[in-house]
Amino acid sequence: MNLSFGLYLVLNTLAVLLIAPLFVSIIKKVKAWTQGRRGPSVFQTYFNLAKLLRKETVFSSHSSWIMRITPLVSIAAVLVAALFVPLVFVPEPVGGIGNIILLLYLLALAKFFMALAGLDAGSSFGGMGSSREMSISAIIEPTTIIVFAALVFVFKSLNIFDMFAASAAAGAPSTPTLILLAISLFIILVVETSRIPVDNPETHLELTMIHEGMILEQSGPNLALMELSAAVKLTLLMALLINLIVPFGLSTTLAAGAIVIALVLFVVKGTVLAGVIGLFESSMAKMRFFRLPSLFAMAFFFSTLIIIIEVFA
Amino acid sequence: MFFDICKTRNRTNFTDPAIIFSFSRPDRRYNIYGLNNNRVKLISSDDLNGDYQKNPWYAGFPAGILSRSFNEMHYRYSGTGDGLMILELFIISLFLFVLGTIIPLACVSQDLRVLRTASHLFTISGSLVMGLLSLFLLITGSVLTWDAYQPLPAFALSFTIDRLAAFFLLLIAIVSGCVALYAAEYIEHLDGGSRRNLLAACTNLFILSMVLVVASSNTFSFLFFWELMAGCSFLLVMYDYSRPETRKAGIFYFVMTQLSTLFVLLGIVLLYTQTGSFAMAPAGISFFTTLAFIALLLGFSIKAGIIPFHKWLPYAHPASPTPISALMSGVMLKIAVYGLIRFLLDVFSPELWWGILILLLGTVSAVLGIIYALKEYDIKAMLAYSSIENTGIIFTGIGLYVIFSSYHMPELATISLLAALFHSLNHAMFKSLLFLTSGSVVHATHTRDIEHMGGLVHRMPSTAALFFVGALAIAALPPLNGFASEVLIFISFFSSIAVADPLFKVLLFLCLGLFALTSALSAACFVKAFGSVFLALPRSKESSEAEEVPFLMLLGPAILASACILLGLFAAQLFLVTGFFVPIPDMFLVGLLLLAMVVLTYAVLYFTASRDVRVTDTWGCGNPSQQPAMEYSGHGFSEPIDIIFSTVYRTKMKNERKFFDQKNCIFAEGTAEIRLIKVFEEYLYLPVARASYLAAEGVSRIQSGCLDTYLLYVFCAVIAIIVYLGWLA
Repeated sequence: MNLSFGLYLVLNTLAVLLIAPLFVSIIKKVKAWTQGRRGPSVFQTYFNLAKLLRKETVFSSHSSWIMRITPLVSIAAVLVAALFVPLVFVPEPVGGIGNIILLLYLLALAKFFMALAGLDAGSSFGGMGSSREMSISAIIEPTTIIVFAALVFVFKSLNIFDMFAASAAAGAPSTPTLILLAISLFIILVVETSRIPVDNPETHLELTMIHEGMILEQSGPNLALMELSAAVKLTLLMALLINLIVPFGLSTTLAAGAIVIALVLFVVKGTVLAGVIGLFESSMAKMRFFRLPSLFAMAFFFSTLIIIIEVFA
Repeated sequence: MFFDICKTRNRTNFTDPAIIFSFSRPDRRYNIYGLNNNRVKLISSDDLNGDYQKNPWYAGFPAGILSRSFNEMHYRYSGTGDGLMILELFIISLFLFVLGTIIPLACVSQDLRVLRTASHLFTISGSLVMGLLSLFLLITGSVLTWDAYQPLPAFALSFTIDRLAAFFLLLIAIVSGCVALYAAEYIEHLDGGSRRNLLAACTNLFILSMVLVVASSNTFSFLFFWELMAGCSFLLVMYDYSRPETRKAGIFYFVMTQLSTLFVLLGIVLLYTQTGSFAMAPAGISFFTTLAFIALLLGFSIKAGIIPFHKWLPYAHPASPTPISALMSGVMLKIAVYGLIRFLLDVFSPELWWGILILLLGTVSAVLGIIYALKEYDIKAMLAYSSIENTGIIFTGIGLYVIFSSYHMPELATISLLAALFHSLNHAMFKSLLFLTSGSVVHATHTRDIEHMGGLVHRMPSTAALFFVGALAIAALPPLNGFASEVLIFISFFSSIAVADPLFKVLLFLCLGLFALTSALSAACFVKAFGSVFLALPRSKESSEAEEVPFLMLLGPAILASACILLGLFAAQLFLVTGFFVPIPDMFLVGLLLLAMVVLTYAVLYFTASRDVRVTDTWGCGNPSQQPAMEYSGHGFSEPIDIIFSTVYRTKMKNERKFFDQKNCIFAEGTAEIRLIKVFEEYLYLPVARASYLAAEGVSRIQSGCLDTYLLYVFCAVIAIIVYLGWLA
């Protein structure tokens, strides 16, 4: 643990906390434009979070300490996971920080607590959300692991920091399979962040909400934490995709100028990707829940195909 | 005791394949002959070579003391005084277990609480001594040998504890100590009067037999204590014999465990015909050795609960008393794993297809085990199926070890074997924790059905917190121990890109995908378990009146829970202490970061956010009161997975309708049936049972009961022997 790593910890956390609500708003704005509306302002998510912090927290009389600690654990797990994905500056890995499997399971930790909080208040909405969320995350897991295995295969390292450093040094995707992997990573991003066609992040109709169902009973600052952790998760998965495929501007040194340029470039790249996500979401409807396994099976076969190509090439 | 431990610890050199096997090879031997000569002298190889002439007391020792040059720890004996009495410690711990067996049996008809408490106290102290001993042997890498009893020249009951055996002894010690703490209180709440004395005595004998199986140094004593362990566990499962389901579970378990002993015996006999001795020494490669491996693998798989031999587990675990379920699931399954690893390391020279077989068996058990667990509503049966899943994960690690060592990649082979061993330890910790806490819940609510529990987090907060730690551990969430071992298996899978054969790489990646699926499904299963049992509103009268269990029933699980947390946080450091260099991430750092983030967030919120709190009803679309029936049941929670994996569950739905008229318009009556087919029972076990019954019927025809027929048999046999001997001569 040296100074540069400590600086990286602070820098990455601040960057991801500041940028995350912006990307959420941009997706909403793009979706509104495709629907012919003007949509909320790009800073609306920041205003929403500030408003929620001022409100009182309401707890159900049937809920327990699970409900009280879930928002804290969720944001902590997602923020530690965000430390594993450098946004602007790639340091040397320290003590296993950056291990790609640990990243996946930190996100699973947040999901576990969220699912339990959905069951805690004893409402049907939370139960349905938890049940569907755990089923979906179980079925997408083989695809995610295969995609990560393919990444490890290409970059010859289990550590995301090494992957980003290699990709930044190469400047452009080193093999064509990385483009195919980008498509798989995009599918995983859509699934993990509960976007259409898997789940609608803006609905509160009983039968269509999965992620929203689990956080239905949260209110006030706790709800702000849950929304923020969802936004940070979106940002870190976007950063994983961006910095592997279009890494130009990613800095490996702690120079102030390089970091500012990297930050601006990341915001620009992230805006483009957020726009793509928004357009993707607007182009299709949410799929019926029991048709999702077929979609995930297709994604699994696609990823296995990538592995086979890599192995035999 | 004056001794000087001189820690010249060389990092294990991974380029030498023989070094991998040094994990079980002795590098220090304390040879004791008989119990008269009970002073243990610590001898280092330097002393042997240099000081042989100077110290005359060496002259009495036999020349069987090994001195290996690639050992990790040297003991140097300096000063006067006694040597370290580790053999004494081992014998004391065995004696404590024997005392724990004898004391309740001495006054077996008196229903006295003090008898059982004394028995469990002996268990706890025996486990403590055994734990300290095995920890010492594990860290220092020394070996303990004891030739106990030799009834006949060929058969000897002798014991050797090297590092591998010491590891499993540590596992047994921790689990049995905590289970005995729990059982000391739990046994008083069981009915059965003075039969509980037998339960306490048998538990001690069971633990003793498991210890001696692990410590055995030849296949004869291995089998002897294996059968003793099987017999004791049968008696323990049949404790509640007045209930028909317990009788069925007991008989089923008895048949399966005898089948397992039969295969192990077959394997040992085949090894004997090949090598001519009962020693656990390398047997070479031949047809008989391969047959012996298949037989031993079958025997150990039946005992460990590998699919398709797993069916006894979901019957036996719910039927037996809670401490026994914890012991069986946490420890006894690991004894089968120990047997497999011991034979693979010391006796066999494994080939590639052996590894593929073990890997496939492990993967199938892992996936199917957790898929069946999700359908269970009996909490103990769910935990039993989850044990099947985890045994599958351990077998996956062992399979990877065999595969990598046959590809001559010793580093990866070591990492896989260490992952399998570490997962055995972790599973023993969190599974016994889960069984003990679920036993407390069952005791408080008088039902095993999770659909009749609920809301227990308010009434039994300590049990809920302990179960929660176990659920976090088994769902493989960082920074607990379940994640630490699973990440090692993931790392060995990911590193398999170094394997040369491309088709083989594809197989390994498929197994990797299935392994990830089981991990995620186990998280889903334990969200369901914790949510249905503890959260929301109570769904039966007993649950709404449940009381927290007494302190002694919380202390054992609490120790196991802290072991889970510590083993997880300090996993990387533990491996370094024992001298292995594995690429595991530093979980302590991750834990610190998580804690730091929680503290920072709380601090920021404390100053910037509103701190008003209000408690009110759950939102139920305007419904004034929340009913327990409104919440998601356990069945409903796993319903999406049931539908997605419906081909695995093979649920049969039957729908019959009777109508009054010809055109089938006026409905008269109907039946609808949803039947869960027990695939393995109907298509594997029952046909085999029926075939063996038919064969037995056919053979029984020679038993006609008529004396004349029997005399004819004797006459024919004598003629046959005379003719045969005549031909030979």
